[in-house]
Amino acid sequence: MPPTVAAQRPAAWKAVLGRLARPPQRSAALPACGVALGLAVAAVGLFRPAPRAVVAVPAGYVALVNQKGILMSDFIAQTQSETGSAFSEATPAERARVLHEMIDEELLVQRALVLDLPETTTEVRDIMASGVNAQVDAPLGAVVPTDAQLRAFYESHRAKYTTGGSMTLHDLVLHIGGYENADQTLAQAETDAADAVYQLRSGSSIDYVKEHFGFVDSGRVDDTEQLDFAAKLHLGAKLYEAASILADGEISEPIVDSDGVHVLVMQRRRPPRIADFAVARNQIYSDYRDAENRRARQQNLKILRSEAQILLAPGQSE
Amino acid sequence: MTRDHKHAALVRGAPGQRVLGRASWVGLLAVAVILLAGGAVGAAILHLQHSDTAARLLAGLPDEVAADPALLRFATIQARPLFAAHCASCHGENMKGNPRIGAPDLTDAIWLYGDGSVYGIERTILYGIRSGRSKAHNVTDMPAFGQRGMLSDGEIRELVQYLLKLNGHPYEGEAAEEGRALYYGKPDCGDCHGGDARGDSDYGAPDLTVNVWNNGGDPQSLYDSLYFGRHRIMPAWIGTLSLEQIRALAVYIYAMSHRSEALRVGHAQAVASAMGEP
Repeated sequence: MPPTVAAQRPAAWKAVLGRLARPPQRSAALPACGVALGLAVAAVGLFRPAPRAVVAVPAGYVALVNQKGILMSDFIAQTQSETGSAFSEATPAERARVLHEMIDEELLVQRALVLDLPETTTEVRDIMASGVNAQVDAPLGAVVPTDAQLRAFYESHRAKYTTGGSMTLHDLVLHIGGYENADQTLAQAETDAADAVYQLRSGSSIDYVKEHFGFVDSGRVDDTEQLDFAAKLHLGAKLYEAASILADGEISEPIVDSDGVHVLVMQRRRPPRIADFAVARNQIYSDYRDAENRRARQQNLKILRSEAQILLAPGQSE
Repeated sequence: MTRDHKHAALVRGAPGQRVLGRASWVGLLAVAVILLAGGAVGAAILHLQHSDTAARLLAGLPDEVAADPALLRFATIQARPLFAAHCASCHGENMKGNPRIGAPDLTDAIWLYGDGSVYGIERTILYGIRSGRSKAHNVTDMPAFGQRGMLSDGEIRELVQYLLKLNGHPYEGEAAEEGRALYYGKPDCGDCHGGDARGDSDYGAPDLTVNVWNNGGDPQSLYDSLYFGRHRIMPAWIGTLSLEQIRALAVYIYAMSHRSEALRVGHAQAVASAMGEP
């Protein structure tokens, strides 16, 4: 009788089969089960279909837009706002229109996030930052300052509460160079201006000085009353500084500026004054509130910074 | 007795003691399994019922909920612990408010904002008052007329006398007349509170004629309101509480503030339960 196929297997195969046929030892069985279970879980995860999106609108919402809900309460509020009447009185067409608009808006908002508008658009960044600040400010509104706190704030910021000054003056200038004054040198002009100042202080008229020394009105101010901020704007910082310390009827020293040598004749001066607490308290109240809000915002930023990881590129500082 | 003997006795039973047989153990085990299964099924049914009622609580329009006794009962049961945990610290355990911090009485059916409907109450809970969110109630606030120097001390006192008169309290006649002239004059109180002083719930301007004062109605409190102004806030609860919890609170507060009406329409049991009455 010919030998069977099994009988023809090499002895080594017999040994392997023999080991497999033996009951597995516990130390090998448990890891094997674990591996099998892990593979099974992985297979299920890989091959089962992705979880389906929620297809029903959850209670409390009127619509889902890409899984983002539109609150029923917001829908009612928007409908009432747009129709000017109670929600129950809105027609189906009105409700549909409002809902359509709200879905459009939600789509645009979602698109804005996809486009990363907070990163790329200044207005969006500003409004987001303002929104956070509004949250920080909100609880402070309920904290009522005392009169003592307002007064202390006023005392520490007195310079801020000034009534605006004003001035009425002539600004005479002796031009240097140019077609009409080609022969005029700065030194000569300064000498003439000093003489003119002397004449004016001695009682000579402006017309006399103009005629005798060649001064003209600079054109920077007219003979009307100017508030300080306007006078500064028109005269320039250098002339304004000289003008602001003149009293009624006083004449300035000659002032060299870009267009020649100026002489200022102050007709009427009302210097700025620090307002009394009682007069300024409305402004003080607002400023105090603003200062408190700023302080809270700084505190909020301090907390955010303490929790943030901020890395600066080499050579950068803040 | 050695330890081995004790162990053997526990397993086999002490001499003369009857020991449960294997069949009895199996029976006991079966009973336990049946009880556990029954409990699980019962809990599942209760959970489903809760889920169903919770869904119904939110599914309808806010003001329809209060008309359903079952939902009203469900809402009050849900809302009571929520109110105690989140609202009572300002409005009080009894919902009567706290004039010291301007927290209004929620049981008097007089509302600073809105009309006291479930929707209106829910809206306030969702987004709050001056909470820093643009959907919150935040049209205006009571100016600090004294602190801002807009009214003198004497003028404020005259206005206080006029308010006392409006609410049927003893007042000084001449000062009240001056106060009345002021009401329509410099501070233009009627701009917010209305020409008839009945308030405007769109602005959150209270009715000055019903003797209900969130910040106190005594002369000193009225003076303080005029002098320091009022800028009360309420947090927005959206994101902190679930929509279901907010709806439950709104329904509960509505029921408490419309208690007589609720009783009239047959919600007596739910309301009594909500009030903690037997």
